[in-house]
Formats: sequence, structure tokens, C-alpha cells
Amino acid sequence: MKYILLIYDNANTRETFLGENGEALMAEIDAIMKELTESGELVGGEALADPSNTRTIRVVDGAPAITDGPFAEAKEHLGGYLIVDCESPERAAEIALRWPSARFSPLEVRPLMDPAGAEM
Amino acid sequence: MSAPDDHVDLLRALAPQVLGILVRRHGRFDACEDAVQDALLAAAVQWPAEGVPESPRGWLVTVASRRLIDHLRGEQARRRREDTAAARVPADEALAPAPDDEQPPEHDDTLTLLILCCHPALSPASQLALTLRAVGGLTTAQIASAFLVPEATMAQRISRAKQSIRAAGGGFEMPPEPERGERLRVVLHVLYLIFNEGYIASSGPDLQRGELTREAIRLTRAVRALLPDDGEVAGLLALMLLTDARRAARIRADGTLIALADQDRSLWNRAYIEEGTTLITGALAHATHGPYQLQAAIAAVHDEAPSAQDTDWPQILALYELLARVAPNPMVTLNHAVAVAMVHGPRAGLELLATLDADERIADHHRLDAVRAHLLEMAGDHAAAGAGYRAAARRTTSLPEQRYLEARAARLDSGAPPAP
Repeated sequence: MKYILLIYDNANTRETFLGENGEALMAEIDAIMKELTESGELVGGEALADPSNTRTIRVVDGAPAITDGPFAEAKEHLGGYLIVDCESPERAAEIALRWPSARFSPLEVRPLMDPAGAEM
Repeated sequence: MSAPDDHVDLLRALAPQVLGILVRRHGRFDACEDAVQDALLAAAVQWPAEGVPESPRGWLVTVASRRLIDHLRGEQARRRREDTAAARVPADEALAPAPDDEQPPEHDDTLTLLILCCHPALSPASQLALTLRAVGGLTTAQIASAFLVPEATMAQRISRAKQSIRAAGGGFEMPPEPERGERLRVVLHVLYLIFNEGYIASSGPDLQRGELTREAIRLTRAVRALLPDDGEVAGLLALMLLTDARRAARIRADGTLIALADQDRSLWNRAYIEEGTTLITGALAHATHGPYQLQAAIAAVHDEAPSAQDTDWPQILALYELLARVAPNPMVTLNHAVAVAMVHGPRAGLELLATLDADERIADHHRLDAVRAHLLEMAGDHAAAGAGYRAAARRTTSLPEQRYLEARAARLDSGAPPAP
């Protein structure tokens, strides 16, 4: 089963990871990524650019409406994601718990929908 | 020159034989398996262009041996650079085809290979992947596309699986008797998982994933040829045939699922039904009745009914009672409850279903909600049924199942007549 780990950041997450003590945290991430790659569980993942680079788009009464920046300043914002293919929801949660940013802000673990299914 | 499909069938049939020959000659299952994969890829390119060699097996053995020796020499050179003792490298004579390369090998190693690939140290996902590559002769790219993951991910999974077997000391030999039965059971389970992975996908954008049913049936046939007296092997093959027989009727062109009761039975594959029924009838005549045989027998009763109304539900109920005794699990209870409802009425089915509410293996599963909704609909409680279908639709992680369940709920809202 495939799961997406939605990694939420708070306002200070990037500073924490890129700051003085960030090296140890980045090393933890490298170790997890290496483990997931070698076990064949890693499907993909990306980090997102800072929320100030966001453009929010909507269609209002049939007309496109584009605004710069996130609509509202949120305490936490999506900072990146990982997609893993693993044996159980417990294993997916275990990976999320070890992700170092979990000590500062939450991750969400959600199964992906499967395009196949059995008749009932 | 023959059609590409012939090449593919020939290569897949030869794959386990060539791998068996190499491992018997050189040991090192992991390195041999890579070498055979290389040889298969080379053949897939060369044979269609240059024609199939006179002895395809001998050709593959020679090419794979050459790759293996190159690999071992490279390893040795690396080790020498690291200043350790030189390892033995096979002499060049090993490259010349042995006389038996031309003939089918004396031992068919397919079963030994299957048992090794389904080693208990591996996760089911790794067992599936390694089985498809080492025994099925599929390429890493094909397996990756069937499981909807990047090729690099699948390559890692296969390479890790081989490392784990090596670390666990898994050898290329039949396990001793007391262990053998248990190991064979794992093999059958892996083949069934491969089948299901293909069956649930056998339409629309997932046709390639659907290929897995064909592969699972082919491998199970090979096991049956080696173990013709094993009732569960026959049962599993029959179950696959009797299930796959309904493939063309189970899904609409737009990808929506059709329940068994609503399927156009003229689309069912008669040849598969006949073969499956003959197999299961023979298997049930003797020996003890294992879970695959009982599930196949249930599938046969469904497949033999000219219409949903003519289904012999008392017979199916009797088989589920046996299955619940032989292999009790919550999924069996779910289906058992449907059979009870068809024979003794929906309220009796709902009573059996209620026993699952405290079972944490299934209490949160969408199928429990879905089956309960179905029985509530039969009982005429449309409000509760609609709520149940919607709860199941929210919980499922399958897109077609979600559409099906939403459609059932919508039909109840609109006051349309209940499903048959």
C-alpha cells in the first residue's frame, strides 16, 4: 500500500534545519532516505519552496483569480512530502515518527487511492 | 521468424531452467539471478532481429555464464585491490556449453526456486517481486510498472530481497520434509497474491498490471505439473481459473465495477470454467479439503449457475461452514454472512456479521460496512443501508470500489428498486 507523508513546517523549521545545529538533523534525513531507498520502499518525495513563493488560484464566477502568497498566514504550512510503498500503516507511521521535523511540527500519513478494486 | 509473443513465452519458460543450471554449477543465487536477467534482456533484443538460436537454452546458459564470470572477475579484482586473498574464478572451460544445456534439465528446479524466492525472511512485497523476476522471467521494468512504482524502487526491492536470503542462509535446495509443507504454503500464497494483484486491475489503464493474472496462472500450472497429487495446488489453480473466468464481465468500459449478481454471464470464459470445475471435482474426490479447494468449490458453484437467481446458495453456505472451520478469518465470516442471508434471510446474516464488530482485524474495514449495508438493503432498511454504503465509500482506498459504493447509496436515495 502506498502512503503519502505530508510534512508540515512551522515558521522556524527551515531556520532550524539550515542553522547551526541543522547538520545533525539533515544527517538523520539522509539516513532515513538511504534506508528507504535501499529497502525499495521509497517511491518519491520533494521539498516545497517557501510559502512566500505561492500563487493561489481560483475560478470566481467563471473568471480566473490569482493572488500572490498563501491566502492566510497559517501557523503551519506544507513543507514537502514523501511517498512510500510499505507493508502496513504502522510501518508508514514509524517512518513519519523518525522524520526529524516531527519534533517541531506534525506530519500527516495518508493512504493513496488505488486505481484497481474488487467487485463486491 | 516467430512473433514477438512467442519469444516472450519461450524466454519466460526457459528463465527458471537457465537459472537452475547456473546456480547448480556456480552457487551464488544472487549473482546468477542478475546474470540470467542480463541474458534474458539480451535475448529479447537479439532474437527478434536475428532469429531464435538453434538451442535457445544453451544460448541463454552461455550468455548468462559469461556475464556471471565477468561479474565474479570484477569482484575478484576489487578484492585484490583491497589486498585480500584471491578468490577462485571459474575457468574459461565453464563458458563452453555443457552437453546438458541443450536438453531440458534432469531436475526441474522451478519449485526449488519458488521456495527460495518465497523465503520467510522476506516481506510479501519482496517475495512477489523476486518470484516474478527469478521464476517468471519478467524484467524489473515490467514488475515496477505492474506495481505502479519507479523502476529504481523495484530494482532496490529485488536486490535487497536477494541480500536478505543470503543473510538468512537460504540455500538452493529443497527444505527437509517437516518444513517443506509450510514453505510450499507460502509459495501458494505468493502466487495467489500475484493473481489477485492482476485480477483487481484487469482493465482500463492497468492492463499491464492485469498481465499478472496470466503469469500467476502460468506459474501455478508449472507447480501443478510438478506436484500433480497435491490437492491444494489443484485447488489454487482451479480457484484462479474459476475467478479469472469472470474477468471480462466484472468491469464496464468506463471502469465501474459490476457485482457478481449483475454480471452478463454470457461473457464468462467457458473453457476456464470447465477446466477449473474438472480440476476441483477431481481434487475434492480425495485427500483433505484445504482452503483453496473450498474457495474453488464455492467459485465453481457460482460459475455453474445459469443466473444469479439460480445460484445454489444452500450448497455455498455448506462450503462456507466448512471453510470457516478449516481457515477461520474475518474475510471468510463476511462472505459466510452473505451466504447465511441468502439462505436464512438478511436478519440471520446481520447477526453473524455482528460478531465481527469487536474484531479489530476488520472492525474498521470498509468491507464490513459494505456487506452490512447490502444485508440492510435486503432487509428493506434503506436509510441504514445508504448510510452504510457511504461509510464504506469514505473508508475504501480503491477508486472503483468508491464509485460503486457511492452509486449504491445514490440508488437508495432516489428510491430506485433495490438490487436483485
